[in-house]
Amino acid sequence: MKTEAPTHSQSILKGNFATAEAARLCRVGFIPAYPITPQTTIVERLSDMVSKGEMDATYVNMDSEHSAFAAAMGAALAGERVFTATAGQGLFYAHEVLHAIAHFRLPIVIANVGRPSIPWNIWSDQSDSLAQRDTGWIQFYGESSQEVLDTVIQSYLLAEQLNIPVMVVLDAFYQSHTSENVWVPDQDLVDEFLPPKKPGPMSIDMENPKAFGGLVPPEHYNKLNYTFWRDAIQVEERAEQIAADYARMFGREYHNVEAINIGPQTRLVLVTVSSITTTARGVIRKYPDVGLLKIRLFKPFPKASVQEALRELPKDAIIAPVERNFLGDREGALFQEMQRALYGAPYRMYDFYAGAGGKDVPPETIEKIIHIARNNPQDVNWVDIA
Amino acid sequence: MKPANEFLIKDEQVFSGALSCRGCGWSLLVRHLASLLGPDTVYVLPASCFSIISGPYPLSELKANVVHTLFAAAPATATGIRAALDRQGKKDTIVAVLAGDGGTFDIGLQALSGAAARGENILYIVNNNGAYMNTGIQTSTATPYGAITTTNPGVGYKKTWPKDLMGIIAAHNLPYAATCSLAFLEDFRKKVKRARDTEGFRLLMIDGPCPPGHKTEPGDSIFIARLAVETRLYPLFEIERQHYKLSYKPGSFVPVDECLKHQGRFKHLFKEENKMLLEDIQSHTDDNWNKLLAMEKLAHVLGEF
Repeated sequence: MKTEAPTHSQSILKGNFATAEAARLCRVGFIPAYPITPQTTIVERLSDMVSKGEMDATYVNMDSEHSAFAAAMGAALAGERVFTATAGQGLFYAHEVLHAIAHFRLPIVIANVGRPSIPWNIWSDQSDSLAQRDTGWIQFYGESSQEVLDTVIQSYLLAEQLNIPVMVVLDAFYQSHTSENVWVPDQDLVDEFLPPKKPGPMSIDMENPKAFGGLVPPEHYNKLNYTFWRDAIQVEERAEQIAADYARMFGREYHNVEAINIGPQTRLVLVTVSSITTTARGVIRKYPDVGLLKIRLFKPFPKASVQEALRELPKDAIIAPVERNFLGDREGALFQEMQRALYGAPYRMYDFYAGAGGKDVPPETIEKIIHIARNNPQDVNWVDIA
Repeated sequence: MKPANEFLIKDEQVFSGALSCRGCGWSLLVRHLASLLGPDTVYVLPASCFSIISGPYPLSELKANVVHTLFAAAPATATGIRAALDRQGKKDTIVAVLAGDGGTFDIGLQALSGAAARGENILYIVNNNGAYMNTGIQTSTATPYGAITTTNPGVGYKKTWPKDLMGIIAAHNLPYAATCSLAFLEDFRKKVKRARDTEGFRLLMIDGPCPPGHKTEPGDSIFIARLAVETRLYPLFEIERQHYKLSYKPGSFVPVDECLKHQGRFKHLFKEENKMLLEDIQSHTDDNWNKLLAMEKLAHVLGEF
């Protein structure tokens, strides 16, 4: 990662503030908001920037997340670039609207600071966003605040090219409320990368009135799904291209997945998302035969990128997804998607539930997972259950 | 005296072929409304009869943009559209919600209250036909006391009074809200114009004839709507910043029976053993009317509008 860049300024920012900075840099025009921990400081910061005239946007305090997302949908239909942020119950409450936004093909970008469902828990957990896997939204998970800022900027380009909404997910507290060194790009650089939003096929045009979203008969509905699918299957490749362009212009490189120490020497691959990745990066330095696969683009799951990352992995290697989610199923979301991506591949795969509800996943836990995976794994393992 | 012609539609803004039932109020309502609002309007429709009436994809009854949205989300969707249009300098474009009573009194009430309290520059039209008619006549909190619906059938007729939506909306201190009847077209059109020309959140509630739901003859829709006003079951009034003003005071007392007896949903009320129910409805209607008179007096005390 570059440590100096003349087109950036360096700031110490909490993840939530880095997210708000990204929305400002993307020149979003409309921000409907509703507070929920641990997201709240994102919209607080945005409302502060709008009130001080630091950004030209319309900020509205809505009456719920359902209404916030519906307002986002309305403004996007009328052609504005829209941003909002939520977490946990807020995302669950907006579920119906998430479907509508995706199927209206509106290029909205949001940040979700992951936390699980009631019984009340406000700590880091990806069950909220992973429960929205099937709403039609693209999902990125950021490992650092820098990555979240960069991914929000990339997401607007991706969303507006394909007319598919994007959710950028941060870890609660480990990211949202933790200060990091963040390179904030200059506005000019972002403007060069991200052109102003153009009206899309689903834009209200007063000169050419249309009806949006009325009853669609079966044969037409299926056709709409087909055209959505045709664009959704381009996400993986398009996201890579956009990240490559971004790397050229901004000096920071990202991929759909990142392979660390995966090669012929690797006997075990940990699979992680978000901040657990950083912990695992440190731990595997002690283990020359342990690799790490970080998933950044989670939905649509980057099957080709995963297969490419594991190209040199020996057939008898073990794969161990580390889950910070619980979806009421036998295996966690990461395991399910990895199985889907690697169907027919020879690897043994064991699932590790480790960090739901904000439970810390320190280096010792990662080491424990490595130890269990190598010695006495079950198909599904719960680590550190008191 | 000049013949009354203030109800003639001069600038038709709808296409023919709307999918409404015979005698439905929606089509007449929207024909008049759209002709007065003009083509520079974005309509926002939650799930409702009118979402169906205005046409399936790729058809549209209206010669303006129409956004079909989620049941609970029309005022919120309209908020986003309004904000976007304002940012684009289209401040004169009207954003109008067309909702039913279910989408207004029940599932959409929170979003309605939110938009009203924020003072969004939106015109909200509620066609109150007193039940979820689109899904087949299920009870809403707008359903009248004593009415039979498919979820309050037989002796299980509705035993609670409908929500006072106008009272709730008045409490939001709106610049303008009014009740309207398609049997009083000049009054309705006058109120549409006033709502159109007022800035802020405005709400018009229209008494919605529904022959399949009310079990009435389609040809009687306007006749019954007029009786609803004459019997004071559906009083016509305006509210400006919580100041009430009655639009029409019936010349003579007409008992509620006169309106209810034409509607199959109230048929059981006319059995001897249910006489008390009719008396209850009359007494509640009288109370409500007297309350409106008192509210009007209060408005005079507080200062006329």
